[in-house]
Amino acid sequence: MSTELIAAKNLKKRYQMGEVTVYALKGVDFTLYDGELVVMLGPSGSGKSTLLNIIGGMDQATEGELYFGDKGLHEVGDRELTLYRRNEVGFIFQFYNLMPNLTAFENINLSVQIAQDPLEIDGLLEQVGLGDRRDHFPSQLSGGEQQRVAIARALAKNPRMLLCDEPTGALDLPTGIQVLKLLRDFCENYHKTVVIITHNTAIAEMADRVVYLKDGMVDRIEKNAHPLPPEKVTW
Amino acid sequence: MLWKKMIRDILSNKGSYVACLVIVIIGLIVFTAFSIVSDSLNLSKDTFYREQNFAQGFVELVSMPEHNVERLSRVEGIKEISGRVVREVRVNAPEREESIYLRLVSLDLSDSSRVNDVRLLEGEELKDRELNAWVDNQFFHANELEMGQEIEVVAGGRAREITITGMGMSPEFTYPLRTQTELFPNPEQFGIAFLPLDTMAALFPDVQGRVNDLVFTLEPDADFDRVKDRLEPELEQYGLKTIYSRDDQVSHLMLTEEITMLETLSTSFPLLFLSIAGVILYIMLKRMVEQQRGQIGILKALGYSDKEIVFHYLSYALTVGAVGGLLGGFLGILSATPLTELMLEFFNVPEVYEGFSLYYLMSGLLLSLTVFLISGYHGCKQALRLKPAEAMRPPAPVLGTKNILEKIGFFSEMLTIQGKMAVRNLTRNKGRSAFMFLGIMLSCAVVALTWSFNDLVDKMIFYQYEEVEVYDARVTLSGPDARDPVERELEGHTEVARVEPIAEVPVTLSHHWQEEDVSLIGITRESSLYNILDSEGRRVIPSDKGLILSERLADKLNVSVGSTLELESPFLRDEDSSQRVSVYEIIPQYLGMNAYMELSGLEELLGQGKLATSFLVNVNNNENKEGGISLLRDRYRESELVAGVDGREERIGQAAELMETFGVALYIYVLVGVIIGFSIIYSSSFIIVSERSRELASMRVLGMTSREVFSVITFEQWFLSFFAMLAALPLAQLMQQGLASELSTDMYILPGELSSESLFAAAVITSLSIWIAQRFALKKVRDLSLVEVLKFEE
Ligand SMILES: Nc1ncnc2c1ncn2[C@@H]1O[C@H](COP(=O)(O)OP(=O)(O)OP(=O)(O)O)[C@@H](O)[C@H]1O
Ligand SMILES: [Mg+2]
Repeated sequence: MSTELIAAKNLKKRYQMGEVTVYALKGVDFTLYDGELVVMLGPSGSGKSTLLNIIGGMDQATEGELYFGDKGLHEVGDRELTLYRRNEVGFIFQFYNLMPNLTAFENINLSVQIAQDPLEIDGLLEQVGLGDRRDHFPSQLSGGEQQRVAIARALAKNPRMLLCDEPTGALDLPTGIQVLKLLRDFCENYHKTVVIITHNTAIAEMADRVVYLKDGMVDRIEKNAHPLPPEKVTW
Repeated sequence: MLWKKMIRDILSNKGSYVACLVIVIIGLIVFTAFSIVSDSLNLSKDTFYREQNFAQGFVELVSMPEHNVERLSRVEGIKEISGRVVREVRVNAPEREESIYLRLVSLDLSDSSRVNDVRLLEGEELKDRELNAWVDNQFFHANELEMGQEIEVVAGGRAREITITGMGMSPEFTYPLRTQTELFPNPEQFGIAFLPLDTMAALFPDVQGRVNDLVFTLEPDADFDRVKDRLEPELEQYGLKTIYSRDDQVSHLMLTEEITMLETLSTSFPLLFLSIAGVILYIMLKRMVEQQRGQIGILKALGYSDKEIVFHYLSYALTVGAVGGLLGGFLGILSATPLTELMLEFFNVPEVYEGFSLYYLMSGLLLSLTVFLISGYHGCKQALRLKPAEAMRPPAPVLGTKNILEKIGFFSEMLTIQGKMAVRNLTRNKGRSAFMFLGIMLSCAVVALTWSFNDLVDKMIFYQYEEVEVYDARVTLSGPDARDPVERELEGHTEVARVEPIAEVPVTLSHHWQEEDVSLIGITRESSLYNILDSEGRRVIPSDKGLILSERLADKLNVSVGSTLELESPFLRDEDSSQRVSVYEIIPQYLGMNAYMELSGLEELLGQGKLATSFLVNVNNNENKEGGISLLRDRYRESELVAGVDGREERIGQAAELMETFGVALYIYVLVGVIIGFSIIYSSSFIIVSERSRELASMRVLGMTSREVFSVITFEQWFLSFFAMLAALPLAQLMQQGLASELSTDMYILPGELSSESLFAAAVITSLSIWIAQRFALKKVRDLSLVEVLKFEE
């Protein structure tokens, strides 16, 4: 087994809503390794997004510990979290969240500007198959194309891990497969960690490991000895 | 239910609503307060004028028999006429450093319908043939006098004790100025005393049975100019100096100008503020309707009618309008009384308070509701047009485009990605950018204008007393015979370093049909205590052949250098004749409006011997000028020949002190400018943050700090503000010119140029208020919850 990237210990996330207390996470222990592709499954409301957001430094847990290497992310301030997001994490969402008034190239450049060791933009655009759409604005691109720009934007920073919350949720099958293939390639070619949240159990077949969440806890973790290539995944 | 939604929506965006509300409230405070104050002043003025039978015409002459006054009331158009003796005397008060003057005005106790009657506020009736007097209330209070107290004046060359038996006020002296160059009343050193006519004769033997001043009222339909023409030949033989109407009477002029200014302000100022608030609210509602498309769609799908939905969104506007209208109205009513009191510090009219005014409260409320109804309706009318199905679909995507600015190649090269976003955002919502531009421009211009105004008034006073009138003291002679003995005496005093005669002669200058009454100042060629300066600040040597005129006078007479003027004066040896004299030079003059001539040339022109009305004096001993001046004052305290000794320092001090009270008003204007700039940037930042929260959050997720993210917004705002501030310069300049020509009078002329310091100050102050407003919005970006914002689809 390769080295640990992220280690979560007894993570709890509590929301106080007046009288009622909602537990989104009820004590999650979880480890993420270098270079693996993890798929997270679980019913709606089981805490998947919450966990991913905490891992990505978008949010902090109410209780428990979270380590990136030997740095305790549960005890750092806003500045450090921003730096962590800036240098180590790439996010991809169901809704692409591109800047509407920047072109594809400029959207990627936005993240290149703040990165320490960025990748080359035009190469990335070629890789995601959008070399000829470089100067197009988001409103001139389809959903799948926009998601590919979003992926390129996340990749461009050359982060240690890529966290994806339902990246194919709004896409049709062939487009979804294209996106998944990009993620798989990134994981293999650059030896980076990728986490994908999905409702689609079929996608789990391409993962190295599958984490099942239920009711704010890790239900079980399965290992795939032979992950399928994305092209073979059907749903 | 929808009410709850409204309250929550307002609360979740309270910053912008509060900004909007504050502007409405300020606007309405000014509306109600200034309206009430100007109404009160008008009412006081009118009642006062009516009850005291205030004159409509004023005559000054050398001397005429009192029994001839009666005959003049038969002149067609004249209703009532009173003859008076008016004389200025010095008060003998050895314990006081400065000179104190009283203008003695006679009252004819036998006349039951006196024109310019005095309203007795305290004390008892005047008694004939006794040395008793009423003094004006401001003088009384300023000098802490008491009833029955005696004040010693120097009259007819003798020290006389006059008993104060009453305190009153007269419509003629609501804003008493002693000389033309004074800007503000100074009740500590100048007051009015009213005495019986016989007592005047007892004080001044030369006026026994004679008068030197007439005041009259007109028949209802009489025309002043006609009456003046009929009166002139009748009075010629008595040494007529001037006849003028109420419109040119100093106190009346100042009072009516103040009231007009208040009236103008009470409408223009609130309208400006309400329009700004209206536009802000319009922008906020428009944005909210855009953002709540989905909700509107659902409401429509549920079966709410268009009317109900529009009313719902209008209720936001009307709530702000009603709350602002009522609060502003009440605060305005509350501040009206202190404000009236403040005005009464400057204008001596009896107080008539109009305390609570339902009328202005209601019209203020109505005004603000109307403005918000209009802006609110326009803000939310698009909600009407949405079809339910359409409403639930996301709006047409923002079509990103490069704009004109980026077509300028090198400019686009210079921009970072954030810069590019900012520049493109400028054209994303053109209406809003235009509003921001105009707002910042206005805010900056208001501050520049105010600052400049303050600077200029300072400069005006400094110029007059540090550059033009540089003498240490002015010794005013009591009559023409005093010149030689006083000059000899002055030169003999050890504390006196330099003495220069000066003559101030009332003249009427005319050119074709233009005619002006001014004071012609004669000074010596080698004068170094009174400098006539040209526009470059170079000394102009007075000529014995021609007149030097102030620019305003030259304009009014429509003359230029070389033109020939007709000159008449009671000082001319042959009073009925006139002289022709040419214009030698035209110079700027900020305080007063005068003509100048070389003294001996003036003497020759008038056919007089040696002429002087005062001496300008410089004292020795630079370290202790005050000591020298007070020594001089002591020497002449009881002199028959000298009417008074004025120190220059006191006059500067007083002017500066009074400027400070006016300064308060100016700071209020600066504050207004700051509030405009602040609230515009504040509310627009808030709108931008909530409108683009998704973009901003995405950038935060990418790992940018709040500050980096916010820089996109600030760059956009600074970019716009920079050009808005540039555009404010010509605007402020234009406003200054307008204001200068509007506010300049014969007593003081305001220059039309902006001071350069004010431009700098305006830029700094505007930038500061923008910067502070941005700090609040930055906090909002910091508090943006990344998880929440990105959870939903756009
Ligand atoms: N801001 C919040 N306030 C209160 N409760 C919240 C908040 N955010 C999340 N929750 C609760 O936390 C729980 C987990 O939410 P989370 O978004 O992580 O679920 P999820 O597994 O991603 O679900 P889905 O598959 O539907 O996206 C839910 O029960 C939700 O109601
Ligand atoms: Mg989720």
